[in-house]
Amino acid sequence: MKNLTIRNLSKTYFDPYAGTNVTAVHDVSLNVGQGEFVCIVGPSGCGKTTILNMIAGFIPHTGGEILVGGRPVKGPGPDRGVVFQSFALFPWRTVLENVAFGPKMRGVRKAEREKIAHEYLALAKLTEAAGRYPAELSGGMQQRVGVVRALANEPDVLLMDEPFASVDAQTRMTLQEELTRIWQEKRPTVIFITHDVAEAVFLANRVIALSKGRVLEEIDVDLPRPRSWDSLNDDARFKELSGRVRQLVRSA
Amino acid sequence: MKQFLLKFWGHCVRLTARWPSIGSIAPFIPVIAAWWIVTELQTFPRVFLPGPAEVVRSFGSLVYMGILPAYLQDSIVRLAVGAFWGIALGIPLGILVGLSQRARTALWPLLLFFQAIGDIAWLPILVIWFGYGLTTITVVIVYTVIFPVVLNTVLGVRSIPITLHRAAQSLGASRIRMLWEVVLPGALPNIVTGLRNGLGYGWRALIATEIIVGTSGIGFLMFDARRSGSVVEILLGMIILGILWYIVDSWILAPIERATGQRWGLVTR
Ligand SMILES: Nc1ncnc2c1ncn2[C@@H]1O[C@H](COP(=O)(O)OP(=O)(O)OP(=O)(O)O)[C@@H](O)[C@H]1O
Ligand SMILES: [Mg+2]
Repeated sequence: MKNLTIRNLSKTYFDPYAGTNVTAVHDVSLNVGQGEFVCIVGPSGCGKTTILNMIAGFIPHTGGEILVGGRPVKGPGPDRGVVFQSFALFPWRTVLENVAFGPKMRGVRKAEREKIAHEYLALAKLTEAAGRYPAELSGGMQQRVGVVRALANEPDVLLMDEPFASVDAQTRMTLQEELTRIWQEKRPTVIFITHDVAEAVFLANRVIALSKGRVLEEIDVDLPRPRSWDSLNDDARFKELSGRVRQLVRSA
Repeated sequence: MKQFLLKFWGHCVRLTARWPSIGSIAPFIPVIAAWWIVTELQTFPRVFLPGPAEVVRSFGSLVYMGILPAYLQDSIVRLAVGAFWGIALGIPLGILVGLSQRARTALWPLLLFFQAIGDIAWLPILVIWFGYGLTTITVVIVYTVIFPVVLNTVLGVRSIPITLHRAAQSLGASRIRMLWEVVLPGALPNIVTGLRNGLGYGWRALIATEIIVGTSGIGFLMFDARRSGSVVEILLGMIILGILWYIVDSWILAPIERATGQRWGLVTR
């Protein structure tokens, strides 16, 4: 696992219909240490997805630089795992094959990569689903597969774009708790994007509040781990932090 | 290779196994009954409309003489050869056009132009170039099969969500592996649709071509029968066309569809 450095990152889109430039990200700088869990929160349209897509290498940036372990990002690569809001599982592959996909691309032999996949599936309590196709799973299960598929490739940085936005509230809480548990076990570097303030504070070591493409403020979250909703729901510190972030985001 | 194909096909069929049963024959019973009644009532002279029994008898004698098996084999082999080349050329071309904006700009107008000059419209010039024979027939079938395959492959490639490309890339897939891991399976349901259309058109084009330039085959059988005024054999040829297509569809195409797109939830039943 390596650290991630973003310096003066900018992105200007050209809108071919209006014939104008839209600057979605202004001069964002950010340092994410190895094994850190950072959440980026902000209202819709503030540039969260744009930042993540640039880190992932899906779209080019127009200013500044992105370094993973000191090396500049040029296009997508297995050092940065991505969990998509729309799951993006391969429908023609079973759950097991989906999770084993990254190791397969690395050239890991079949028996070995299936062992890896089984281990990660167990981590997300998905052992039963190994032989099924994604279309046969619930949304929550599909997203868990999406998370472990990215993890099983052991990326330096894990990028997650509102991964839990499309599941129901109960499932979301379970997924959040599972994610913190898995993170504690494997300690990947995580950048997690959300517009849900409570989710951000629950998950993160550090919350970055974003507004109109600029960083407003960084807030350290010093809540103890392991975290669970049962204990945090009435926790004074959790409420205080959430309140502060919520104010920042609303004032944005 | 042959073993692999057999194994794959066995797999597809086993996954889905529902061979055509009594249920799929049932709808034809009233049609045959009506046909039989009409001929028994002698509404039309027998020479113009023979009954089912006579067709069956003619089937028996043509099989006995060995004409029907030979012609049937000729037609099927021609379709298979045409389909093979149509697929072998059509899928790569479709993938190229589907993936590359530049290839699309260059090739799309050509594809539309040549698609419009339908199969048999090529016959006059093909006969001049290649004469009456297998080459002409093969060219027509390849030509017919290739367009639905290409156009549907393009559609399939372009309908793959960009997130799947991105997911594979972030998991370390190289450009070449993307073709096999994402592009081909993602486009497969559309490719099978293209194949179904292509083979359907190809089958019809084959018969038409055999009628015009053939010296053997089911189309030739029917045309030859017309010359000798044997309505029985014409009807027999028509029935064979229908049955053969039914077999191709339900024993080859449908099992593949059930094992791929439907299983993956890409196509709703
Ligand atoms: N391809 C594009 N072309 C032009 N403008 C774009 C493009 N993608 C995003 N934008 C603009 O950039 C800004 C930021 O978009 P982005 O998708 O990053 O927001 P977001 O924070 O992820 O929002 P949400 O929470 O709704 O997902 C928006 O104003 C959007 O209209
Ligand atoms: Mg977004």
